[in-house]
Amino acid sequence: MPEMTYAGYVLAAYLVFAVVMLWDFVAPRIRTRQILRAARLLAARRAAAAAQSEFPPQ
Amino acid sequence: MNPVLRWFHQLGSPPYFDRFAARWAPWGYGLGLLVMGVGIYLALFSVPPDYQQGDSFRILYIHVPAAWMSLLVYVLMALYAAIALIWRIKLCEILAMACAPIGAAFTLITLATGSIWGKPMWGTWWDWDPRLTTQLILFFMYLGVIGLYHAIDDRRAAARVASLLAIVGVALVPVIRYSVVWWDNTLHQGQTVSVFGESKLHASMLPPLVWMVIGTKFWFAGSLLARARADNLYREAGKEWVRKLATGKQRSGSA
Amino acid sequence: MTRPGLLRTGAALALRDLRLLWRRRGDALQPALFAVLVVVLFSLALGGEAELLAQVAAAVLWVAVLLSGLLALDTLFRGDAEDGSLEQWMLAPVPLAWLVLVRTAMHWATTALPLLLAAPLLAELLQLPRVQLPTLLAALALGTPLLSLIGAVVAALTVGMRRSGILLALLALPLYVPVLVFGAGSVALATQGLDPMGGLLLLGAGLVVALVLAPVVAATAIRIALN
Repeated sequence: MPEMTYAGYVLAAYLVFAVVMLWDFVAPRIRTRQILRAARLLAARRAAAAAQSEFPPQ
Repeated sequence: MNPVLRWFHQLGSPPYFDRFAARWAPWGYGLGLLVMGVGIYLALFSVPPDYQQGDSFRILYIHVPAAWMSLLVYVLMALYAAIALIWRIKLCEILAMACAPIGAAFTLITLATGSIWGKPMWGTWWDWDPRLTTQLILFFMYLGVIGLYHAIDDRRAAARVASLLAIVGVALVPVIRYSVVWWDNTLHQGQTVSVFGESKLHASMLPPLVWMVIGTKFWFAGSLLARARADNLYREAGKEWVRKLATGKQRSGSA
Repeated sequence: MTRPGLLRTGAALALRDLRLLWRRRGDALQPALFAVLVVVLFSLALGGEAELLAQVAAAVLWVAVLLSGLLALDTLFRGDAEDGSLEQWMLAPVPLAWLVLVRTAMHWATTALPLLLAAPLLAELLQLPRVQLPTLLAALALGTPLLSLIGAVVAALTVGMRRSGILLALLALPLYVPVLVFGAGSVALATQGLDPMGGLLLLGAGLVVALVLAPVVAATAIRIALN
């Protein structure tokens, strides 16, 4: 049987696996970070507005 | 009340689920990484090369677990979807939608590794054999659920509509598979060799497969929790507890 | 006042659809025209050579019918969703599924039936061997209503969205695959001299199942989407 190096193909396959798994790990982390950051900014805006206004914030 | 039941109810509370998911997702990822690491090590270094296929059969240890996951995740997605629609449980909506990208990822891996495996073996990057064709259609069905979920503004209506699509899809996957097999059998009577024939796996070649199958399950659990956590936060973004969480995080160090 | 029965409401809806269609009769020909265009484009792209065309005629015809059906799908519920009639449907004393079924039937009659009638002409353009024509027409007669019913489910899922366009096609196409496979496959079998009845019977069985289930699923989708 041909003793060609299939190493390139095996490497490519495992690489594809690693890349997709990496994306699967990173994507939700980025999203969570974005959402929390937006919430932080919202909280900061609300706090600033409350500090400036006469009436207590609801 | 039955403690298990009570735990289910607690999970329905968004802040509780956030803590739960944040705590356990790393375990899923970590265990998954560990188990898959062992599996990959065994697959690459401990199993001897196949008599006929040389080293390229090692791709099987990625391709087969990914293919199984692509189908399992779809079924699970449809299950969560059914629970979400019948009992109107918000958490299950979130879980169902979180399944979709993970399933799509595994389907993509299946297609890519299948293609890469096919090239040295049968000289072609692609073959319209029933299994690969069904995987391709499955990929589009995942994209459909994801696309539909993101196309509607109201998150709850979007999740419920996409859930219905997932349920319709799961009912049709066997039909699609049957039709492709029928097409392959009745029309291509000459080409009976499918790209990945029925290679018998010798017992010594089994352990890495088992490790990989288990490892992908753990990883899936971690990813599901992480994505569900993100979606949960997104839906609740206007609430006080999310703001507290966000500002609290800033003080004590980031995510 | 007595509750209107299924037949009375069905007839009323059908009549209304026909009347609306008659006011825009030009639109009714568009799916058929689109299919002709697809056929022309394929023939040109393939070089117009009779022998080659004859081999792919049935497949090209099926794809043309499929694509023009997809285009027409957007109009299934769009008009009624936009002017609020769909919500009236949900409040009607008859089952929503029944109204969906009547609407889908009318839609098929006005968009797919012209295609069916034009099919022999299109087959001639594509140099389809005459002997394949009966099987092709039978497959289309069974397959196009099935496509309409599956399409109705997908259209119902997207009824809440502004412009669904390509998303509609992306959702529908995987679900269309079995119909395409059995439909075009039957003709291919007939070409090879084999018995096409197996494929045609499967299409028929699918049609029966879809007639019962698709309207119900579509009705559920409408309720969810418009809730």
